[in-house]
Amino acid sequence: MTRPSPRTVRRLIGLALLVAWEAIPRLGILPELFIPPLTKTLYVLWLDRAIYAAALLVTLYEVAVAMLIACGVGILVGAVVGGVASIRNLMLPVFSSLYAVPIVILYPVFTAWFGIGSESKIAFAGVYGFFPVMLSTAAGIRTIDEQYLIAARSMGASLPQLIIRVIIPASIPTVLAGLRLGGALTIIGVVVSEMLTSADGIGYLVTKNRTTLDSPRVFAAIIVILALSVVFDLAVRWIERRTLIWQIAGRRERPDARTSRGAMPAPATA
Amino acid sequence: MQHMANMSAVRDVSLTPAVDVRGLSHVYAGREGAVPALSDIALEVPAGRFVVIVGPSGCGKTSLLMMLAGLRRPTSGTILCDGRPIAKPDPARVGVVFQEASLYPWLTALDNVEFPLALKHAPREERRARAEAMLKLVGLEGFGTRYPHELSGGMKQRVSIARGLMQDPPVLLMDEPFAALDEQTRMTMGHELLRIWSQTSKTVVFITHSLTEAVYLADEVIVMSARPGRILDRIAIDLPRPRTYQMMATDLFGRLRERIWEQIRTVP
Repeated sequence: MTRPSPRTVRRLIGLALLVAWEAIPRLGILPELFIPPLTKTLYVLWLDRAIYAAALLVTLYEVAVAMLIACGVGILVGAVVGGVASIRNLMLPVFSSLYAVPIVILYPVFTAWFGIGSESKIAFAGVYGFFPVMLSTAAGIRTIDEQYLIAARSMGASLPQLIIRVIIPASIPTVLAGLRLGGALTIIGVVVSEMLTSADGIGYLVTKNRTTLDSPRVFAAIIVILALSVVFDLAVRWIERRTLIWQIAGRRERPDARTSRGAMPAPATA
Repeated sequence: MQHMANMSAVRDVSLTPAVDVRGLSHVYAGREGAVPALSDIALEVPAGRFVVIVGPSGCGKTSLLMMLAGLRRPTSGTILCDGRPIAKPDPARVGVVFQEASLYPWLTALDNVEFPLALKHAPREERRARAEAMLKLVGLEGFGTRYPHELSGGMKQRVSIARGLMQDPPVLLMDEPFAALDEQTRMTMGHELLRIWSQTSKTVVFITHSLTEAVYLADEVIVMSARPGRILDRIAIDLPRPRTYQMMATDLFGRLRERIWEQIRTVP
């Protein structure tokens, strides 16, 4: 008997968790206040679909703008910090330390500055997501193999050509890793700030329904947030696959690459 | 008499050295003050020659090569290539092949070879045709769509050589191009390089640590001293061409190898 593939096992575990989610409250192992059954949660989600959709739109809008800020400013600042040694030596220790600060303590300040509407969420989540993007962009640029740059210069590359044809493609893998982390933090930032002080968004629905002990509706909101995170992750993976063919292909087994190119002429041995 | 003078004038023109280094010295700023790296290097390489530079580690061989490539400025002295000074990298005059495969992993072999012409915005068809011709020259016809990680170490260096020859420069500089290869591949690649060289009539300046490789490849071996690097000896390699592996077993080969070793060894 062959061992089941990790993917099959993963799916089975997922299925088991869903079954447990339904069974545990139904069997009375845990009260429904702690965990409402899955079907009940999905049912209220369907009942209140208009409310959840409207809240999701608000959250999506905030996440989108915050990501744009976090990624745009993060890449820009990261490129400068990574590329210019004097600025790097001056700023990198500061940024690295700031990254360790739980920025959520600043959220009250953000509400004071930007009010309790979307602006404060966007600003807070943008700052939250900015650091990993900035730091990984800086790292990506700083760790480029010097040989790539020397070779390009020996072939007569100008500085703009060096940036466009070597530095950017060489740093894409690290930058994408940062975008993935930064994007996820942006979602967290938006949801957390909505939970703290807000009148709208999915995070607000969690807080509001929790105060009324309406567990199914709290879990319905959690499901929406989970779905949002999963979709984001899938999207980033898809982008990675599209842009990093050369890297992903490198991780693949060699025989695979060979059979798919079986029509190749006899290889030179050296 | 008049006739003779004319003859020599003609010969002088045709014998303009491909590489002409005069009074080259280099000092770089180290942690404990100025470090002399190269001292009074004079080197003339006639067109079409295969010159190999050997010397102990840290003797400034690579620095010298970087200067020949226009990638680094010497403290003093002049470097002429084809009779004109080299102030900055000029891939149409000097092609460079580096030690490690410095190919770009995000580009296919063909795109890597095309890179120098892409920088010059050469028409797509022209550079593709040229790159395919170069890949064929180095024995990699049909491998153009592969990414570097899909190629063996030797194949990667073949691609690097193709890339160095892309703009048909009269001079090809090679910085320990086969150092990372295993012994068998290294021998094969040395032999392949001689074939490519004989088909393209380039002037080659080649750096290596391997004395066997040096004697096998070179018309002339330049022996450098430990830092500050000076030229200790220039040894003409009188082995006939084309070179064969059997020559490595000859007395002459052994004596030449021995003579180089003596000089490098006696340097403290």
